[in-house]
Amino acid sequence: MSVTSATGTNRIVRPRRVVRTGEAKWGLLLFAVVAGIVLVWEAAVSWFQLVPAAFLPPPSEIIVAFVRLLGEPEFWAAFAYSMTNVLIGLAMAIVVGVVVGLAVGWSPVLRFTVAPFLWLLYSTPKVALAPLFILVLGLGNESKIALVFLLAVFPIILNTMEGAVTVSPSLVNAGRVFGVNGVYLGWKVIFPATLPYSLSGIQRGAALGFTGEVLGEFLGGTGGLGHLLEFAAYQFMMAEAIAMVIVMVIIANLTLWLISALRRRLAPWYDDRKIVGAS
Amino acid sequence: MSTFLASGPNLGRGGIAAWLAGLSGRGKALVLAGEVVVMLVVWELVVGVFGWINPVFFPPPSAVAQGFVELVQSGALAANLTVSIQAWLTGFAIAVVIGIPVGLLMGSVLPVDRIVGPIAWTIYATPTIAYQPLAKAWFGFGIGPVIFLVTISALFPILLNIAAGMRTTNQSIINAGRVYGANRLQLYRSVFLPSTVPFLFAGLRQAVVLATIGMVVAELAGSSSGMGALIIRAANTYQTDQAFAAIAVVVVWSVGMTQVVTLIERWVAPWTRKGRR
Repeated sequence: MSVTSATGTNRIVRPRRVVRTGEAKWGLLLFAVVAGIVLVWEAAVSWFQLVPAAFLPPPSEIIVAFVRLLGEPEFWAAFAYSMTNVLIGLAMAIVVGVVVGLAVGWSPVLRFTVAPFLWLLYSTPKVALAPLFILVLGLGNESKIALVFLLAVFPIILNTMEGAVTVSPSLVNAGRVFGVNGVYLGWKVIFPATLPYSLSGIQRGAALGFTGEVLGEFLGGTGGLGHLLEFAAYQFMMAEAIAMVIVMVIIANLTLWLISALRRRLAPWYDDRKIVGAS
Repeated sequence: MSTFLASGPNLGRGGIAAWLAGLSGRGKALVLAGEVVVMLVVWELVVGVFGWINPVFFPPPSAVAQGFVELVQSGALAANLTVSIQAWLTGFAIAVVIGIPVGLLMGSVLPVDRIVGPIAWTIYATPTIAYQPLAKAWFGFGIGPVIFLVTISALFPILLNIAAGMRTTNQSIINAGRVYGANRLQLYRSVFLPSTVPFLFAGLRQAVVLATIGMVVAELAGSSSGMGALIIRAANTYQTDQAFAAIAVVVVWSVGMTQVVTLIERWVAPWTRKGRR
């Protein structure tokens, strides 16, 4: 479901998977189709040699490369390097994004003066700034962390802002009636009501932050998963390169799944569909 | 945007807020324009006049404007912009041509949705940058990997939005159509497609932004021509004013194409919300 929300942040909400007896059948079918694709791939490359294996290695080779990769300490060092940078940058982006988003969402004056610029920056392809970050901050961790932060912070701000704007006024008034004011009102009413929105911003921000990290590694430096991937592709070790891509696919999907689980846990009263609104 | 500005739980209390909310559309635009001017002046003063920040790292607006003129005069802008636009349009066209039929198929045939859907979501959730080295190894160093990355960035928002649009068609309208004896084809023509169009354009707008990101990423990380290559060349030779000017051109392209999509929507499908504005 996708909606252009109040702030113009477009989102598609992944349909929640409901496990019913009928669903197991689809899962099986999906598995069969994927297995069929893999089989055709294997047949086309290694049995009939329709595609040169140097370009597109067969799945069996990729699996071997994948398993070998997981046994290498070098891979885990790169993994730790990338993930540390992403986590630091993302943590900073979450703190700044939620605070700025709440402030701008709450205050009409700020919303009028600052929000259009935030919206413009949000829709700007900020990846173009990557070379400048490396120029200013060098090839080390700092430039990558800064890039992760820059790419991740805007979706978080925009979504938090949207959440703060859509907090029901009757909740706020109820709070005021009970004498809740100031920071306490923010903590008890605004923040929890905004939380699911922030989390969906964080979800988007995590994906973009990962882009920032990998791009930073492509452009310079000698550590991290992006560097390993680039190196493998450069050496034309395609099986290793595709195995690295699969690692990244797993990391990205696992991160999204984790944040979704967190949202269901922290804000069980919210439905994905409700966040997007009836439109 | 205007409805967004004039809503929220904390409205109608402050004096400035009330004044701002009461402004006409033209007044609001004026205030915003004033803000932009103030920001540019402050930026110019801080970097250009007082020199608090190293202007090599963060050139003032006047230097960026000069960098733009340099780029235009040397012909670098025209040459690289042509390559980028060509790659962008080709990739986007491929994404539209594949995305719309597959999305419609996903929306109307349940097994297709259940099989293509999870695969598409898995690929879509991964940042497209991960596929870039593969594209480079497969398609070489030219325009090929750029087109590939633009296509793969733009494809999934289009496809998944259309599928979601078909699936969320209002059941009571479908029933009404059935009551009036519409056959399957008529039902598609006058119920499913019109209600999917807003989703299509939402997907296209998303795709424009993602395609531009994909283009820049592909060109930054291994291309000898295009805007990304221009940016990285300018940055590596410490001509940051030119790099900023090139980035500004990319931003204008991204915002401009989003506007084009909105205009097309207004023209083709005036019944949608975005179109009415």
